[in-house]
Amino acid sequence: MASSAKENSPLLRVEGLTFAYPGEISALADLSFSLSAGEFVLLTGVSGCGKSTLLKLLKREIAPHGKRSGEIYWEGAPLSRLDDRDAASLIGYVGQDPDSGIVTDKVWHELSFGLENLGTDPAVIRRRVGEMASYFGITDWYRRDTDSLSGGQKQILNLASILVMQPKLLILDEPTAQLDPIAAADFLATIHKLNRELGITVLVCEHRMEELFPMADRVLVLDEGKLLLSASPREVAGLLPKAHPLHSGLPAAQRIFAKLACEGATPPLTVREGRAYLESHYAHLKGAKLPVVPVTEGETVLELDKVWFRYTRNSPDLLQEASLSLRKSECFALLGGNGSGKTTLLKLASGLLTPYKGEVRVLGKPIRKYRSGELSRVGVALLPQSPAALFLYDTVEKDLLEIAKGNIAGGNADAVRAMADRLAIASLLARHPYDLSGGELQKCALAKLLLASPKILLLDEPTKGLDAAYKEHLVQIFRDLKADGVTILTVTHDLEFAAKVADRAALFFDGEVLSPDSPRTFFAGNHFYTTATARISRDLFEGAILPDDVAQLCRGGAQ
Amino acid sequence: MSRERLHPAVWMTYYLLVLAVAMFYWNPLLQGFALLGGMLYFAAIAGGRAFLSELGFTLPLAVLVAITNPLFSHAGATPLFFMNGNPITLEAVLYGILLAGMILSVLYWCKCLSMVMTTDRLLTLFGGFLPKLALTFSMTLRFFPRLFRQMKAMEAAGKTSGLLADDSFFDRLRGRMKLLPALIGWSLERAMETSASMKARGYGLPGRTNAVCRKMRGEDVVFLAVILLLGGLTLLSGILGDLSFWFYPRISDLPTGGISLMGYVSYGLLCFLPVILEWKEWYQWHLLRKKIPLS
Repeated sequence: MASSAKENSPLLRVEGLTFAYPGEISALADLSFSLSAGEFVLLTGVSGCGKSTLLKLLKREIAPHGKRSGEIYWEGAPLSRLDDRDAASLIGYVGQDPDSGIVTDKVWHELSFGLENLGTDPAVIRRRVGEMASYFGITDWYRRDTDSLSGGQKQILNLASILVMQPKLLILDEPTAQLDPIAAADFLATIHKLNRELGITVLVCEHRMEELFPMADRVLVLDEGKLLLSASPREVAGLLPKAHPLHSGLPAAQRIFAKLACEGATPPLTVREGRAYLESHYAHLKGAKLPVVPVTEGETVLELDKVWFRYTRNSPDLLQEASLSLRKSECFALLGGNGSGKTTLLKLASGLLTPYKGEVRVLGKPIRKYRSGELSRVGVALLPQSPAALFLYDTVEKDLLEIAKGNIAGGNADAVRAMADRLAIASLLARHPYDLSGGELQKCALAKLLLASPKILLLDEPTKGLDAAYKEHLVQIFRDLKADGVTILTVTHDLEFAAKVADRAALFFDGEVLSPDSPRTFFAGNHFYTTATARISRDLFEGAILPDDVAQLCRGGAQ
Repeated sequence: MSRERLHPAVWMTYYLLVLAVAMFYWNPLLQGFALLGGMLYFAAIAGGRAFLSELGFTLPLAVLVAITNPLFSHAGATPLFFMNGNPITLEAVLYGILLAGMILSVLYWCKCLSMVMTTDRLLTLFGGFLPKLALTFSMTLRFFPRLFRQMKAMEAAGKTSGLLADDSFFDRLRGRMKLLPALIGWSLERAMETSASMKARGYGLPGRTNAVCRKMRGEDVVFLAVILLLGGLTLLSGILGDLSFWFYPRISDLPTGGISLMGYVSYGLLCFLPVILEWKEWYQWHLLRKKIPLS
């Protein structure tokens, strides 16, 4: 009897789950859904809709404390009645911070940690760890210190050290939020492979829908703690309410389709389908192009003049005669692979590092002639790679107040409140910085920088962990800043964001900034390093890099 | 390589025995063995360049120790000359030289120890009988590099936002004081995350095993027996009083009885054992390599 019930019931079933953190209004309200064995399900929704809370509740050991009702069933029986050993091994969880999951100092030890806890025989541990290490291609760094790994490698390690325990369900909470696009694509491809080859059920919460929509069997949309939608990826665009903020995060092909609103056609999902769709409906417009906005000249505010830099005497050069000049109130996007030295370039531009040859000039004056603290007073601000480092106090508000003290005359608290409203972080002010998610921290860090009323903003991956709706908001903030005369240099992996916000874009490669150009020329000229929209439309149109561009050309708006 | 192949417990026993004798028996012959053995072994595993640069640091230290002792210690019955009215005695000079040699040999053996007993091997060693300690050790090694990185990131962020000045020593001190509570908070937060990750992977379930535990193999037992025998004979000879040597008031004769001889031979063999093993393996590898075609 029991076994037949097991076979018929889904792997996981959530029934009327309601949850509220102590002293707060409910985070989840009457949630019901189920996951069948072998399914790949994408959970999505705007930031703060309760996705993380839901995922944590499904993993018993890390479930948050609070008031809950409703029930979660695992293979037909309540999850709370599952044996401790099974609960730990059958449900695997990977969070968004690659560092926080890793416990030990060596890769091989981390891989065996879970099995050690389960009391597995050492010989079996070695075999399973060996098997997993080969499957994931870890053999090259098997003996290394976990600390020496890149973010992408750390996330793969987190995944592998869960898979040695042979889970049936993988729960992933924004696993690629802190990774660059190439590492993220690798990671997601690995998840997809695990789902297809090993039949592991996957429940993943992510903002990167471009890559995930084609992989997922089903999409769950959460909205203010309620289940808004459960549909196949192809149907989502049609079923989502018209003005829902999630629209801006859908894959480019779907957004183009939604803007053109063709009746009767199947909505495309991937770049390939998007191309086919455009070919079949708009082939007559072939060759249409959008005009390139000429890059405007202006006063130079920050200049790197033939800069050479290496970290230690015997290490390789990261910057080799790199030159770059920023004009007043422009936004410059610097793109490029991981470890290519983009972050280093930002550190040189902010005076944290000094080149061994060449010169960095801020407002015409060599950077080495500025005394400590003077650069921040003339208005150079840096958003570091790990924004948590900007926060020293136990609430976000205290940090913001501290920086507002010296820079904005009168009405500190008012300035902080105004900035909080502008960046939509008013609800985060009273929180501890370390309790925030990566995306929330990013917003607060940006607020802290802007409170110092900077003139030159140096940003390291400003969109990391942000959802698409907030990125739209950020685009608007950047435009306002530029109108106020602020110059922005942003290092980013987010090509679509760069295409929207930048006045000039350039590739950083082999220690050099390669020929900066307007984003339209830059992205339309690139084959691989370009937006999904450009990849969809490149055969038909010229210079269309955003869904709006394509829509404009298709409607015959070409000049 | 024997230093990688043998069980860490064998090596730990070895180092404890060599160091114990080197530190507690002031016999010039034993000290000579220990110093020469330690230096040769260090040169063998660290390479000639590292050995020379190490020598540049240790030799001046040894000379300093050797000179300082007779300047401050005026015991001994054979004055060589007088300095500021104080006798510089032969005994104090020789004692200084021996002391310098002892410090050097302990330094070199400790260097070898740290090279051979990598954290992996320490884990293997403790994993068997103190698994909790081994895990804590591993977690600590994971934590500290992160802590220092976070501190640097916070300092950099403070500098660029103008909230931490670093013009003077006091600025820096004040900056550090400001960072301290934030760093403590950060550490606690990391500890909570780590414990969540541990719990999520079943830490705390009864019957935990240890993947790193390595059983003693035949070769390990043989080497352990040899080491214990040589060390035991040395200690026996020492306990019977046949290795004793003193400097004050007059330098004693080097004991040369049969039991003393047993002590010398066994400690000498003990000290040169790893160098002999290294050399033997190097030579075997040399012969094997000859069989591999050049191109």
